[in-house]
Amino acid sequence: MRAYVLRRLVQIVPTVLMITFVVFLMMQSIPGDPVVALLGDAYTEEDAERIREAYGLDRPVVEQYLIWLGKLVRGDWGVSILTGRPVLQDVLVRLPVTLELVVLSMGIALLIAVPAGIIGALRRNTWADYAATSAAMVGVSIPEFFVGVLLLLAFSFGLQGVLPSSGWIYLPGTCPNMVCGVSLWGNLQHVLMPAIALGIGRAAILTRLLRASMLEVIRTEYVTTARAKGLGERPVVLKHAFKNALIPTVTVMGLQVGFLIGGAIVVETLFAMPGLGTFGIDAIIARDYQQVQGFALITALAFVLINLFVDLLYTLLDPRIRYA
Amino acid sequence: MSNGGESATGALGGAEFPLDVAAPGLGARPGSPVREAIRRLRASRTAVLGAAIVATLVLGAIGADVLAPGSPIESDQSQTFAPPSADHPLGTDQLGRDMLSRVIHGSRVSLVVGVSSVILALGLGVPLGLIAGYLGGRVDGLVMRAMDLILAFPVYLLAIIIMIMFTPTAGLLGTIKVVGAIAIVRVPIYARLVRGSVLSIKEKEFIEACRALGVRDGVILLRHVLPNCLAPIIVTTTLGIATAIIVEATLSFLGLGTQPPTPSWGWDLKANVAFIQANPWLSLFPGLAIFVTVLGFNLFGDGLRDALDPRLK
Amino acid sequence: MTRPSFPTALIAPLALTVSLLLVSSAALAQTPKRGGTLRVSYGNEISHLDFHTAPGYEMMWVAMNVGCGLVNITPDGKFVGDAAESWKISADHLTYTFKLRPNAVFHDGTPVDAAAVKFSIDRLMDPATKSGMRSFYEPVHSVEVLDPRTVQVRLKHPYAFFLHMLAAYRTGLVLYSPTATQKFTLEERKQGKPGAVVGCGPFRLVEWVKGGHLVMERFDKYFVPGLPYLDRVVIRTIKDPVTEMAAFKAGEIDFIASFSPEHIDTLKAQSPNAVIMTGKETTPMLAAMKVTVPKDGKPMSKERAPHPIFGDLRVRKAIGCYGIDRQEIVRIAFKGKATPWVGMNPPGTLDTVDVNAMCPYDPAKAKAMLAEAGYGPSRPLTFELMADTEKSVFNVIATVIKEQMARLGVTANIRLVDKVSWMNSTLQDGPWDMYVEDLLSLITLDSNAYLSNSTSTWSHPRHNDKRVDELYARYAREMDAEKRKAIARELQEFMVENMYWNNISGSPFYMVAQPWMKGYTYNAEFEVHYERVWLDR
Repeated sequence: MRAYVLRRLVQIVPTVLMITFVVFLMMQSIPGDPVVALLGDAYTEEDAERIREAYGLDRPVVEQYLIWLGKLVRGDWGVSILTGRPVLQDVLVRLPVTLELVVLSMGIALLIAVPAGIIGALRRNTWADYAATSAAMVGVSIPEFFVGVLLLLAFSFGLQGVLPSSGWIYLPGTCPNMVCGVSLWGNLQHVLMPAIALGIGRAAILTRLLRASMLEVIRTEYVTTARAKGLGERPVVLKHAFKNALIPTVTVMGLQVGFLIGGAIVVETLFAMPGLGTFGIDAIIARDYQQVQGFALITALAFVLINLFVDLLYTLLDPRIRYA
Repeated sequence: MSNGGESATGALGGAEFPLDVAAPGLGARPGSPVREAIRRLRASRTAVLGAAIVATLVLGAIGADVLAPGSPIESDQSQTFAPPSADHPLGTDQLGRDMLSRVIHGSRVSLVVGVSSVILALGLGVPLGLIAGYLGGRVDGLVMRAMDLILAFPVYLLAIIIMIMFTPTAGLLGTIKVVGAIAIVRVPIYARLVRGSVLSIKEKEFIEACRALGVRDGVILLRHVLPNCLAPIIVTTTLGIATAIIVEATLSFLGLGTQPPTPSWGWDLKANVAFIQANPWLSLFPGLAIFVTVLGFNLFGDGLRDALDPRLK
Repeated sequence: MTRPSFPTALIAPLALTVSLLLVSSAALAQTPKRGGTLRVSYGNEISHLDFHTAPGYEMMWVAMNVGCGLVNITPDGKFVGDAAESWKISADHLTYTFKLRPNAVFHDGTPVDAAAVKFSIDRLMDPATKSGMRSFYEPVHSVEVLDPRTVQVRLKHPYAFFLHMLAAYRTGLVLYSPTATQKFTLEERKQGKPGAVVGCGPFRLVEWVKGGHLVMERFDKYFVPGLPYLDRVVIRTIKDPVTEMAAFKAGEIDFIASFSPEHIDTLKAQSPNAVIMTGKETTPMLAAMKVTVPKDGKPMSKERAPHPIFGDLRVRKAIGCYGIDRQEIVRIAFKGKATPWVGMNPPGTLDTVDVNAMCPYDPAKAKAMLAEAGYGPSRPLTFELMADTEKSVFNVIATVIKEQMARLGVTANIRLVDKVSWMNSTLQDGPWDMYVEDLLSLITLDSNAYLSNSTSTWSHPRHNDKRVDELYARYAREMDAEKRKAIARELQEFMVENMYWNNISGSPFYMVAQPWMKGYTYNAEFEVHYERVWLDR
């Protein structure tokens, strides 16, 4: 088992390398030179040359990538052309914001989906089931930004502006220095609507998955056997059906991470949150190569680590699954 | 990369996922299974509702020029930010454009992008999956590595960078670019789906028999293997259209999809959020349009899945 | 009749004293309160903190408070001393002698002396520094230290705007401490490393987190005793106007340095007590047309050929002069809050000239001129109209222009690009036909020259006409104000006759303050100073 985990951790490296290399290549082929934008009206060829040389932009693409890699291994994520600041610093400042958003939204999703999915499976074709599945269907069809807009209308521009429409107040300990607004309550107010906007879509998918998987499992032989053995319905459901239904559910949740990242970008943009999502998209648009690399790196890492986590979760859920 | 996609059964929710379980015998004897499926389809309320919504949308998109009260791109400069009225049931936006017309015409873009991108993804993914699954070995390895590479990317990161590489533009060319970007990201889904089906069929006796009889590989692929993948492909396609519509709307929301003046629900929603206090309907209706459209395809896709593989109900 | 008793006799003087006390306490309520933190919001990031080389307004507005110069300019165009307490101009206008304040020091303790002034100006003029301000110092011949408190600048030729330039062209002159500049590297200064950014202004840089906030606090040894009142100024970057509005309404920020004109009405509705400051526009909004293209297809090539569409003056005039309804654009894009303006010099800039009569909206005439140039129903004119996504108003204006072109039978296809692509296209002689954009604010016509491409790298339309350069040179060297005005008129009219740049209107500029922020003097984008600001809370 340990060997499996180690092997998987090692496999992360080539995957992440691959993703960051492809992103690197793609960025290079995007039209538009950030050096021109950087210098603006003060543009001169000599200046441009100087900057390009300083950042190694005049070297062949593969060499540039290897240089980036070399620095990375030493913990240096590079310095942004446009801002002059170290990329790692910017990423670390924004990470807690996105992390909080994602964790909270997944929490909300689970809170909604687990009971809804179970009820749907157990009380099949009753009104409770119909309610759950209809709600799930709606949740799956509604884009995050629209949920966000509806929430904004309801709580920021209606109801006397109970919740703030944008911006961010930091959790104690996550603000880089003295001058941010820091307050637990303020933070909760700012994160609530974005987390709900992001969580509803996830909740819907989870609900449908869970319900369908549970229905599937309930019909299988061994559950029938367990029932035949005389175990009551509740223990049967909770111990066997649910746990096994979680496997495909969890799998698909892993696959969903890509969409989750997109959802985070959109929600952060709508609510003007200073997180990794806005960081990434601003960097891509500004052609800030170093920042985009940093964004791609952390996104790829998150993606790959979550998938590993999902796979490891299997062993917990189904004792029959063992990795050599 | 997690292998979840291969082992998951068909009972998946939300955005479409690979259904690697081929409905047995669907293609082997055309006739009664198909009629069975259609019967089930008609009986399913969700499918009927979904189909109705989709049909309405398609008709609306085709007849947009007739249905829309005005032009979606012509601005009436004297009538900016007009509230809903008889003349402009959904009001006008900052440039005096009739919102109802924009919403109706927007369906064209959404539907065209949604359907085209899926068709394009199919057109690339199905052959790749067929070849990889059937030929196996090195070809399989190569194709699947490429598919894994695309799948390894968070969907939106890839789509966003591709769109910036293409440079978002308006009009037909811009729409083509968006279609391309979304299609590229979706190809692996179909490739893996088809490959899985092929793998499960490949070793069956009647395929061996065909080979022994000297039937060429290509013919085997087309006449025997492919029909068996049909059911999951159809379902995945329908649900895929729903996803593609959301992706297009999201890209447009971020400013990287369909560009104005081409009407786009995602763009209109974002552009009008700034004025949401005084003119909430300008953001609300494009959003509702996206929701209803996606809902329709999801309902229909769900109904299709239930009809084509009743075991999963 | 009895004499008034003693207590009664006291009533009058007592009443007088009491009323005097009441009156003076009312007056005291207007005395600036010392202390507090001013929270400011900028809409764009500060580029970096090497004031001599950084671009962007946001940087300038920091430079004006952390740094100090020789002179400043008031809203009505008068010069006041900054680090210089007085100055003399020689009769031939070639020599400027500045006398520095005795008590001016830099934040690192070194004195603001003549040597520092010479060091700063020499540094700006040095090609190695690559300062964007360098071209403005072209008339300077030399800088001499006469004594520690007296510095003399000698010009090669008379320059009417020398003091304007020192005061307010971009950052104006920002004095650098020779000690600090040599002690710290350029990178350290750019990044705002503590101690590296040293100025002589009322506020000292404490900390800068790019994309986050900048903190400056009172410099106790500022040369104006008693100033600044504020303990601290905190600047945050909030790019989204809706977020800015919300933060303002919630009382989280006190001052918005540049607020989106599109949202000003919403802000007024949300925060009726907000103090909104604006004035005559000093920024031009353009629908520029490209005049020449590289002959050999290589960008920035010296060999030019006329642009296939707009190289023809008739087409430029048809479209830009008569074919655009400026009133309509202002009404729709700015809700009437800007001035339709044809002249290159915006309505709020020195020596502005109203030449609107030269370009009345006349679609019939426009069509006739297009026909003359060979365009018509059989050969319709189509061009591409570029707008970048930095401000949504560009797209709005572009859409209105597209509409107006349609009335002429001309098709304008709008191409929206991001700012980086826009800069690449315009600065690097890329392919474009027309763009909508607002350019830098102009305090004088001289500060942002729309020169020919032989003299200016950033002349976007890349016109070749050296007569423009000559007019500019004459304007800058004319010391007589009346004659200058005449040259300004000549220059404006020449520009309109040749449509090298195509102005549509002024671009309005707004600053928003909370009612408790007092003591701020509005001078558009040119002078943003916090030293006299105090908070009435």
